[in-house]
Amino acid sequence: MLQLKNTPFHERTSALCQPQNWRKWAGYFVVGSYEHTIDREYWAIRNSAALIDVTPLMKYIIKGPDAARLLDRVTTRNIQKMSVGQVYYTGWCDDEGKMIDDGTVARLDETTFRLTAAEPNLRWLTMNAVGLDVQFEDQTDRVASLSLQGPSSRSVLKRVCESDLEGLKYFRLMKNKLGGAEVTISRTGYTGDLGYEIWMDAKDAIKVWDALMEAGQDYGITPVGILALDMARVEAGLFMLDVDYTSAGHAWIESQKSSPFELGLDWTVALDKPGYFVGRKALEREKKEGSAWKLVGIEIDWVGMEKLYAEVGMPPQIPGTAIRASMPILVGNVQVGYASTASWSPLLKKYIALAHLQKPYYELGTDVRMEITVEHQRKHAPAKVVKLPFYEPEWKKK
Amino acid sequence: MTQNNYDAIIIGGGHNGLVAAAYLARAGKKVVVLERRHMVGGATITEEIIPGFKFTEFSYVVSLLRPEIIRDLKLPQNGLKILPLPSTFTPMDNGDYIAGWDDHDTTRREIYRHSPKDAEAYDEYGRRMARIAKAIKPILSILPPDPTSLSPKDLIGLLKLGQFAASLTEKELYGLAKIMTQSAADMLEEWFETDALLGTKSASGIIGTFLGPRSPSTAYVLLHHYMGEIDGAFRAWGFAKGGTGGIAESIASSARMFGAEIRVNANVQQVIVKGGRAVGVALENGDEIYAKAVLSSADPFVTFLKLVDQKYLPDELVHSIQKFRTRGSSGKVNIALSELPRFTALPDEHVLHRGAVSISPSIDYIERAYDDAKYGRFAKEPYVDMIFPSMIDPDMAPPGKHVMSCFVQYAPYDIEGGWDDAKREAFGESVIATIERYAPNIRRAIIGKQVITPVDIEAITGITGGNIFHGELLLHQLFFMRPATKWSGFRTPINGYYLAGSGAHPGGGIMGAPGKFAAELAMKDGI
Amino acid sequence: MNSYDTIIIGAGHNGLVAAAYLAKKGKKVLVLERRDIVGGQVVTESFGDGFSVDSLHAGGTLRPDIIKDLKLASFGLGVDSIRKPFISLQADSDPLILDADPAKAAESIKRFSEKDAAAWPDFIAFMEKTSVFIHAANETIMPRLPRNFSITEGYGLAELGLDLRLMGGTDMMRIIRGIPMTADEFVDEWFESDVVKAAVASLGIHGLTLGVFGAGTGYALMHNWANRGGLSHLSVEGGIGKISEALAGAAKSFGGEIHTNAEVKQILIKDMRATGVVLSNGEEIAASNVISAADPKHTFLSLVGAMELPPEFVWNVQSIKMRGSVAKVHLLTDGKHGIPEGTVALAPSIKYLEKAYDAAKYHGISENPYLEVTTSGEVVSIHFQFAAYKLKDGDWKSEGAKVEKIAIDTLAEYFPNLKSSILNKKTLTPLDLEQTYGLTEGDLNHGQLMLDQFMFMRPIPGWSNHKTPIDNLYLCGSGVHGGGGVSGASGRNVVKVLK
Repeated sequence: MLQLKNTPFHERTSALCQPQNWRKWAGYFVVGSYEHTIDREYWAIRNSAALIDVTPLMKYIIKGPDAARLLDRVTTRNIQKMSVGQVYYTGWCDDEGKMIDDGTVARLDETTFRLTAAEPNLRWLTMNAVGLDVQFEDQTDRVASLSLQGPSSRSVLKRVCESDLEGLKYFRLMKNKLGGAEVTISRTGYTGDLGYEIWMDAKDAIKVWDALMEAGQDYGITPVGILALDMARVEAGLFMLDVDYTSAGHAWIESQKSSPFELGLDWTVALDKPGYFVGRKALEREKKEGSAWKLVGIEIDWVGMEKLYAEVGMPPQIPGTAIRASMPILVGNVQVGYASTASWSPLLKKYIALAHLQKPYYELGTDVRMEITVEHQRKHAPAKVVKLPFYEPEWKKK
Repeated sequence: MTQNNYDAIIIGGGHNGLVAAAYLARAGKKVVVLERRHMVGGATITEEIIPGFKFTEFSYVVSLLRPEIIRDLKLPQNGLKILPLPSTFTPMDNGDYIAGWDDHDTTRREIYRHSPKDAEAYDEYGRRMARIAKAIKPILSILPPDPTSLSPKDLIGLLKLGQFAASLTEKELYGLAKIMTQSAADMLEEWFETDALLGTKSASGIIGTFLGPRSPSTAYVLLHHYMGEIDGAFRAWGFAKGGTGGIAESIASSARMFGAEIRVNANVQQVIVKGGRAVGVALENGDEIYAKAVLSSADPFVTFLKLVDQKYLPDELVHSIQKFRTRGSSGKVNIALSELPRFTALPDEHVLHRGAVSISPSIDYIERAYDDAKYGRFAKEPYVDMIFPSMIDPDMAPPGKHVMSCFVQYAPYDIEGGWDDAKREAFGESVIATIERYAPNIRRAIIGKQVITPVDIEAITGITGGNIFHGELLLHQLFFMRPATKWSGFRTPINGYYLAGSGAHPGGGIMGAPGKFAAELAMKDGI
Repeated sequence: MNSYDTIIIGAGHNGLVAAAYLAKKGKKVLVLERRDIVGGQVVTESFGDGFSVDSLHAGGTLRPDIIKDLKLASFGLGVDSIRKPFISLQADSDPLILDADPAKAAESIKRFSEKDAAAWPDFIAFMEKTSVFIHAANETIMPRLPRNFSITEGYGLAELGLDLRLMGGTDMMRIIRGIPMTADEFVDEWFESDVVKAAVASLGIHGLTLGVFGAGTGYALMHNWANRGGLSHLSVEGGIGKISEALAGAAKSFGGEIHTNAEVKQILIKDMRATGVVLSNGEEIAASNVISAADPKHTFLSLVGAMELPPEFVWNVQSIKMRGSVAKVHLLTDGKHGIPEGTVALAPSIKYLEKAYDAAKYHGISENPYLEVTTSGEVVSIHFQFAAYKLKDGDWKSEGAKVEKIAIDTLAEYFPNLKSSILNKKTLTPLDLEQTYGLTEGDLNHGQLMLDQFMFMRPIPGWSNHKTPIDNLYLCGSGVHGGGGVSGASGRNVVKVLK
């Protein structure tokens, strides 16, 4: 009663979690990794099928004649243009045009939407719904969700789903039946690979889990914890709230906040939609004047890294998980930004990072240096600004 | 008998007096603390009223004790340990409860049970309060300037204040302005809807004031109680090992370590003024002690109107101090228990006894308690804030037994017909009956109790009106108006005489700041 | 479609002041009034044969510079130059009579306290100083703080600061300290007699939903004193409606148009810019600027609509405390009511006033109300506090009769002939104030005059300068800084802000 929650998959996930590596996520316990090393879990994402419990993701149903108007007001996308069955990725801002959170909006029917978010947003939605005919339902606890990611994910699903999902396009969703349970399947994910997210009533959670695990046996389905997911999402160039940017609602100071433009989300800001939306004035101004910062990808030059370690007689040392820490980035001897997440990419065999760089250093191809600590000494490894995502398989959108 | 070889005399051995003494002694000054009672601590004491049971008689929790004081005076080396109070538990009238925990996610989950809206509001509310607390914090260490003065010192002070204001964002400034002026109820009702949550939160806005949660300006007091959170301590409230007396003892020990002398049973009758300068004090027993400076940690009323002749003071100051509001409004009921109370809402859970238990089912509940007080009655159904010191520090009670400290509001100092034994007993009974509604076993668990009214607080500690803050935290009694305009800077019209108690800026609570400020100022003045 | 330079929503005194000044500057101005008469709260209406009353306010004066600028005297505005006394009724003794002449008032005070009688002239002199300050403050447009104000705005504020300093240290401190005080504390600085204290303190809660123990009623006391020009009302010759008539006359003479029976349903907004209004009959009228003299809650949440406004702003508007608790009971008598001329108050003790407020706190009606009574020949007008807009039990369709009965019964205890003299009655409940006079929650001040809702926090922090998040839309009602009372300051100030 006085504890954090377990997800509806706990019975299964806890039996499988060998290292007792649990993480706190939005008031739930979830598995960090199922095995002592995360290599197998990572490769399941990139090579076969990874089954990830993403239940703690906040899920809100927004329903009513004004639901679209509300989301049009809150988010930066043009929701009015969205068709039923479509999913949008979007950020949403405060009125100063600084990001509060990001997530997906799915149009379930003409007047019903599902919004996912990293943080609780019910209050923000309610504040924005004054005078609108719209109801909210927080489904976070009631609806369980699984993310099935990897090149074999479609084959696994096809095996257990009642309706065919061959025609399910990227960022679309459909209703389906799986293991005897009603589910909604969206072709979305947080890995940059082919993948699906499956939404079900919490009481059906175990049924669906078991059906997927069984169907996936021949495809190498592997339960995957959030540590491996963290590596994959860096490769995919996907950032994370409170790691790669600070919500405008949480920031202590102005400089901690980021606009969607600064996060590289230009494509999500529909300044051509009519009327007021939250942050509009500030975003118009920024669009006109240009952004002071930009989130970019950087590749650390491995040879340069090796050299720095070689000076002390060691091979390069980097952890096997994504590093969530702030690492200064320099040009010459001047700091021009910082990396917020860095990770070894087992697939690309590269050391990569998501970095915030100041104008004009965020231009592609800029040579920068990232601070690393080599045997207790600060060193600066050569790196280059590259295009995001780091990795995008051709089958992701096919 | 006269002695005249001191640099400074400190009147009163409460925590502020002791802090002042320790700072002076630390700087090599020869200091003597004169305490009227047989023990030091003032309102910050622990006494074994019932054998084996140690009561934190008056103040019972600590959040505001300045970390730099803890460091400077080496208080941990002198025995200070501030233990966490991890939770607040509020039983509700419908048999349920609402609790707050030191883990953010757990609290959010708990509030969510009652209201998803409140759960989210709680997140943002906490962040906003922290930001405003951060914004206001520098004011605590600014010596308030006199806005009417044109002296360079005050103009520079005003400029500093202006710079401070300019350093805030618009939101912070407005947040600050609103919080200084709103009622706790109005502010909280903008955020929350759950009655018991509103009640509990609003209660911290009225502690130590003679105001109700619907009185404008009570939101500020709420912030005063939030300040601890951003002090690098990260916990709002703590309980000192050995009770609050443990704090006083550690400061006294520190002062002695630095060479200060502390005398108990030394009741100062008057401050001796010669040539417009305070030169010493006369004790009740006729002794006279001389020193270069005298620091009074007594309240402003005693400091200005009782200890010195009014002829040394400007009329305006005398008038202001006479009008200085020091209406005590709270009482304490300390209880020795044979067993812990079992709350109907959560009978088998003893984790909650390690934190605070608050009887505050709604804002209106507390407001009605205030209504009683404003017409001269003690609250029939009072707000009660309980802790169980023996659950945090096992040394406070014999094994298996417990002590319970109940802070109670409202109990007005000026009660109709005056306080007497019968009324004190009735007051204690109203508190026990109130608790009994939520924890039916309380009555049979009582081994003994001590009921303290504001009149008792005054009689024991000497604080005028029994006001725990030495003067209410009202807007016109804060900052450059505390305790009086033109005399908010710890100095007094009498050279060498300083106010070093909670009645000076930045105010009450076990903060220690006034003592430190006054000591530093006295040294700056060259004692 | 017609097009105007400026449309003003609401023909209350502030709307009319703004209209007259703009028209005088040669602007094409249209005032749209929902009711069939102009004046808003400043109206004299007839509720029957010979039953003509000042509906809501028993008196008031526009600021002298406004009267002069707009030449209102030539439009029929005369001011009763004799201020009648303030009479505080007592249960066990003759009333306390506070004459406008301090020496005379002191005579009456002597019966209650020699000391207070001696303090009275000093107190009056001090209050006159506070009035100078309040008027100076209301004349100053409050900028956004701290960094967002322009040099011209900052100049006004600096001037105000200087005004305050020039009063000398003691008075300045007294005013600064007085602002956050309770009315009780405010009067306690001067007086010892509960009777004298209560009489004066009543002004601190007049029109507010607060008791005399509420912080900030010290400010309200100064505010109301400044607006009345003293403790008692200064009534207007021919009824307070003359003020509005004169203002309307002036506005029209300068070429302004005023349409009555023209209710604005919506403010037209395109790309976050006001472009005109829509009337409830569907008619659209375009204008370069729109000024709303309606209260901020109504303006933003109904006329503009939350969808057009930033969420944080909407939240702040929702949080504006309106909470009216004033009812009016008007009586037509045969003239033998026995009530003396002047401002007659039932405010016998500090605790009486506070207890009257307790009822409002719990959403009820005071059984023992604070009353302020004025007479005009046969007509008796009773200002009744407290009657909460939001009632816990019952509703205002039925509870009006209760207020009426309490008011009459209470007053009849002091004036036994009152009941038998009554010929006709008209009671205005807080709901009537909302429905008939368009005051959200029946709040006469368009938002409580509380500490967190005055100066740069009126109507909400950051928007005290008449501007709004919608370009070309301005506020000029009592809900903005300068408002609260019949001075016209808010209407005058908006004209200075308009581009």
